[in-house]
Amino acid sequence: MLISCPYCGPRDLSEFSYQGDASRMRPDAASTDIKAWHDYVYNRPNPAGPHREYWQHTAGCRAHLIVTRDTLTHEIHEVTFARAALRAVGGRP
Amino acid sequence: MAERLSPLGAAFRPGMHGGPGAGPGVRLSEVTPPSIMEATAWPGRKGALAEAISAVTGLSLSARPNAGAVSAEASAFSIAPERFLVCGGAELPARLAAAITIETGTVVDLSHGRTALRIAGPRAEWVLSKLFAVDVAPAAFPVAEARATSHHEIFAQIQRTGPDQFDIFVFRSFARAFWTMLCDAAEEVGYEAAG
Amino acid sequence: MSPRRARSGGLIDRGRAISFTFDGKAYTGHAGDTLASALLANGVTLFGRSFKYHRPRGVYTAGVDEPNALVTVLKDGVREPNIPATLLEIHDGLEADSQNRFPSLDFDLNAVNQLGGPLFSAGFYYKTFMGPVMGPLKGTRFWMFCEHFIRRAAGLGRAGYEKDPARYERMNAFCDVLVIGSGPAGLMAAEAAALAGKRVILAEQEPRLGGTANWSGETIGGVSAADWAEAMAEKLAAMDNVRLLARTTVWGYYDGNNLAALERVADHLATAPRGLPRHRHWSIRAAKVVLATGALERPIVFPGNDRPGVMLAGAAMRYANEFGVLPGERIAVFTNNDSAYRAAAALRKAGAAIVAIIDVRQDISAAARKLAEEAGVAPLTGHAVVGTAGKRLAKISAQRFDAATGRLSGDVRPIEVDCLAVSGGWSPAIHLASQAGGSPVWDEKLSAFLPPEPTQDWLGAGALTGAATTAEALSAGRRAGSAAVGAEAPSSALPEAASPTLDPFPAPVFEIKAKGKAFVDLQHDVTADDIRLAHREGFVSVEHLKRYTTLGMATDQGKTSNVPGLAIMAEARGLPIDRVGATRFRPPFAPVSIGSLAAETHRHLKPDRLTPMHDWHVERGGRMMPAGLWHRPMIYGELGETVEQAYIREAAAVRRSVGICDVSTLGKIAVKGPDAAEFLDRVYTNVFSTLPIGKARYGLMLREDGIVLDDGTTWRLGEHDFLMTTTTANAGKVMQHLEYLLDIVWPELRVHLTSVTDQWAGASVAGPNARKVLEACITGTGLDDAALPFMGIVHGAIDDVPVMICRLSFSGELAYEVYCGAGHGLHVWEALVEAGAPYGIVPYGLEALGTLRIEKGHVTGAEMDGRTTARDLYLDWMLSKKKPFVGSALMDREGLIDRNRIRLVGLISLDGQPLGGGAHIVEKGSLDDLGASIGHVTAFCYSPALQKYIGLALVKGGKARHGTRAFVSDPLRRRFGPVEIVSHHFFDPEGRRMHG
Ligand SMILES: [Zn+2]
Repeated sequence: MLISCPYCGPRDLSEFSYQGDASRMRPDAASTDIKAWHDYVYNRPNPAGPHREYWQHTAGCRAHLIVTRDTLTHEIHEVTFARAALRAVGGRP
Repeated sequence: MAERLSPLGAAFRPGMHGGPGAGPGVRLSEVTPPSIMEATAWPGRKGALAEAISAVTGLSLSARPNAGAVSAEASAFSIAPERFLVCGGAELPARLAAAITIETGTVVDLSHGRTALRIAGPRAEWVLSKLFAVDVAPAAFPVAEARATSHHEIFAQIQRTGPDQFDIFVFRSFARAFWTMLCDAAEEVGYEAAG
Repeated sequence: MSPRRARSGGLIDRGRAISFTFDGKAYTGHAGDTLASALLANGVTLFGRSFKYHRPRGVYTAGVDEPNALVTVLKDGVREPNIPATLLEIHDGLEADSQNRFPSLDFDLNAVNQLGGPLFSAGFYYKTFMGPVMGPLKGTRFWMFCEHFIRRAAGLGRAGYEKDPARYERMNAFCDVLVIGSGPAGLMAAEAAALAGKRVILAEQEPRLGGTANWSGETIGGVSAADWAEAMAEKLAAMDNVRLLARTTVWGYYDGNNLAALERVADHLATAPRGLPRHRHWSIRAAKVVLATGALERPIVFPGNDRPGVMLAGAAMRYANEFGVLPGERIAVFTNNDSAYRAAAALRKAGAAIVAIIDVRQDISAAARKLAEEAGVAPLTGHAVVGTAGKRLAKISAQRFDAATGRLSGDVRPIEVDCLAVSGGWSPAIHLASQAGGSPVWDEKLSAFLPPEPTQDWLGAGALTGAATTAEALSAGRRAGSAAVGAEAPSSALPEAASPTLDPFPAPVFEIKAKGKAFVDLQHDVTADDIRLAHREGFVSVEHLKRYTTLGMATDQGKTSNVPGLAIMAEARGLPIDRVGATRFRPPFAPVSIGSLAAETHRHLKPDRLTPMHDWHVERGGRMMPAGLWHRPMIYGELGETVEQAYIREAAAVRRSVGICDVSTLGKIAVKGPDAAEFLDRVYTNVFSTLPIGKARYGLMLREDGIVLDDGTTWRLGEHDFLMTTTTANAGKVMQHLEYLLDIVWPELRVHLTSVTDQWAGASVAGPNARKVLEACITGTGLDDAALPFMGIVHGAIDDVPVMICRLSFSGELAYEVYCGAGHGLHVWEALVEAGAPYGIVPYGLEALGTLRIEKGHVTGAEMDGRTTARDLYLDWMLSKKKPFVGSALMDREGLIDRNRIRLVGLISLDGQPLGGGAHIVEKGSLDDLGASIGHVTAFCYSPALQKYIGLALVKGGKARHGTRAFVSDPLRRRFGPVEIVSHHFFDPEGRRMHG
């Protein structure tokens, strides 16, 4: 499987580390809402189809990417830099 | 002051090795420059950082992905979205630190932390292709550009410094292991290890 | 002249004789021969014994599809089994052995297996060896009892025990077009793409490029097809945008147009030049792929179809045309299609007598009739072969046959032959196309599966897509090559190909049902009856059928048996073939050497990571041990010392005077930027924003779930400039954790991270005399308490080398970590050792380091094991209440603050024996009664300070058990003994020594 890093170009899967579901929301740092924290740390949907996920290009530019991957076909629809995307929305707290 | 010691130790065996006989296919050498600096810009400041580096080194550097530049005295290349590796003389760290303000980004001295190994010669692309899954053909990887990739556990930042010449920057602690693998991979085409 | 070598013809080099041995007997062949062609030329027809029944077998094909003639190659003392003789190029000194025979190929004891009949039918493993339901040999135990005997009798070749000295390599390649197969279609495709200036790789599994052109006997462009192919290959070789890979089998087609290939670089050489790999694993990333993989001939299934002397018609023709070898002198042909008539004519032309052409069809084309005339025989139409006889084929019997009903009638007619050339039609080699994705499409008229609609970037050309003639292949190849690069087809005229206009469609006859064993899968000895039996037993899915009968699961992966097997299953089920379903082909297309997959890691399994002082340690007798990829000294052994004696000596020297330890492996991360302090406050459990410049602080990090991640000191070097240290083991993990937080959670923070682990060499100088040692060599700074208090940082120089010194202690002694540029590490280290000489400075290794920290009760990875909380380790004093931090939200969950969790304690051995790492702690028990675990030992040592064996442990209740007794229970090491549970702060709990 190849992932097209927006910086480095298409690279083999082995250069990347899976960093989890990109739809999870981190509660506010001071939040004491245990359920929200549980959802953030443990609870994941398991969709059959498009899935937004974080991958880090650990053996390349080391940037975290948001990869939209179809869990049924492994087809990758979109890859973007996570930091730039998340900075625009104030992070993922 | 004491000289900086090469990490290659006894693994560096100067002379000709392996190959079918008709001259070396590649020449291998350690080319760690006196100074290696990593400079990183804040978001949106990569252009300003490239300008600051250009001003200090005299290189003409752009903010494009994988861009780089090489001169007799210095070299620099981009290794990540907002990050450059800059090589130069002993005066580089102080000059770069002065030129790059905290509003532009930060610099980290890696002069001891990275080792530069050079592979040059007609079979350089062939030997590199054994080790790295990146396209090293000139059209795909032009002179002065760079790639960040890895060979198994060894992280490598590679700059093409000539039509058939590449400088590979590895972590110092891995330099001897990588050098040994490089020599091994070059045995087929024959190599000259030179100082 | 060899008995079966034709007087002329073939592409072998008759001027070069090559000597080799088979089963110890010497033979000669010619350059260009395979082992199969060379042995056939020498009149050898018996190549091996079959898998289950040990029936004699000959060579059946001439290529990659060979099911029978598998041999073991002996080279450099290494045995490599299961190599098809049809792919093995001979070279001087080649040693090959036949397989699966005992004691000899000619006389095999296990051949009695074939008398066992039903015993070895479908699923015989599952049924026969299930064993009785009751008693001492019930179920699996019975299987284990029988297995030993079965394994001896069954199976193919035997691997050896010698280490493989060969070199294997990997090659990464990128191209615009990868053309697979170099027959007429592949050559044209490669040329068209190459002329458009694109980067082209042409891969051919055979040594010689040209595919069918090498044996078709046709003319292309006015010259012999073989000459045309050679000229094309030369033309392509001269273009620098083309790479020709002969002897290269593309065996895997993966996502993203990634393909895997095996190049047999040196197998055909008597001696390989130094540095040349034996095999090269090619990982090819192609923008487009042109599949020109051709078609594979398949047999007709009939009783006795496995007798040596029976082979595929195309293979017989290839032996005659490419190798100048006659597979027999009196040859019969048995076919359901026209292509075998070409074989008949070619074999006749090469000098063999064609004694019969037996065709299941009643009517045949005019072109076929003409070829039969050339072969000098009138075809026996509407007939079938119903049996064979002779140890080596001596006789066949034919009978009248109705292709529509499959019924046999009339007299059985014996025909004396020494070779039977069989053709059951052609199956496009769709393996790679199928691997790429999609379901193959059954073509009723061709009685064959055609490749699926592409779901990846490939185009097909030639026989793969059903092209019947060379002319079609040439034009389809050019079209595909041009289309692959989006270019206009070259303007030059297509080369003209002359070939007879044969009927491309076979009669749909797959099996002749008569008495006797009729084999479908020759390599796994699966018969037509086995398939029917499996069906009767309820196996209707193709996938189940395969697994139950093992049809198509041998090393040839059913290349000849796949379609006949499906056809027989379809008939049994009363369904059309396409309704039975095709199996999806998976990699590899052909067997792949394990060495090539391991490639360069074959010799460099893991890279060695070395500190700047590595050579010094080794020269001083340091016994190096792995710590992740790092090599670290465990002890510096002196003559005659045990490990325990060495570390006790080293640790005692630190407590008594001074020692020095290489700590360069500690993870070091530069944390820089205006928000660096704020960032550290968020990731550490304690506060760092209040840390003054020039001071260090011990920090603890949790994961989001509240479990301890790592610890270490972080040094403030400037307003926006911190140097974080991590444990050696967790350096990479912590870096990734921090990068994640900056990229994903707090992208607004202006902080940069860089690994500087390799930038700094570190030496820890520890012991009551540590300051005196440093004072003897430092310049530029004072070291007294005022200049350098505990956790302070100063800059100075040692022997003119700039150093940074932090006063911190892991051993509990007065201690300093001295950092300098890694390239100066050895120099500074040697200066420190020299300065320490008057104090008897001792270098100490990991064992002594561990001993010193156990005596102090400091935790490491053994205790921070991914399950413990800060409270478990009595580090709750580090949990700030003033701010949230990573892990603060979940660390107080009910289960994490339970008083009964296993928590950190110290242990003292009460019987004077060592404790064992990982041993359980129990309240009661004995050597044979393990007891109930209340925790486990995480670390242990002999403490020179306490003169006892001590350890650290995680025990239920922790502190509440201080002063109580328990037992260490270690059944693996047969250790059971009493211990006292104490505080983990064994030595100098007030810390007077390190502050002193
Ligand atoms: Zn990247």
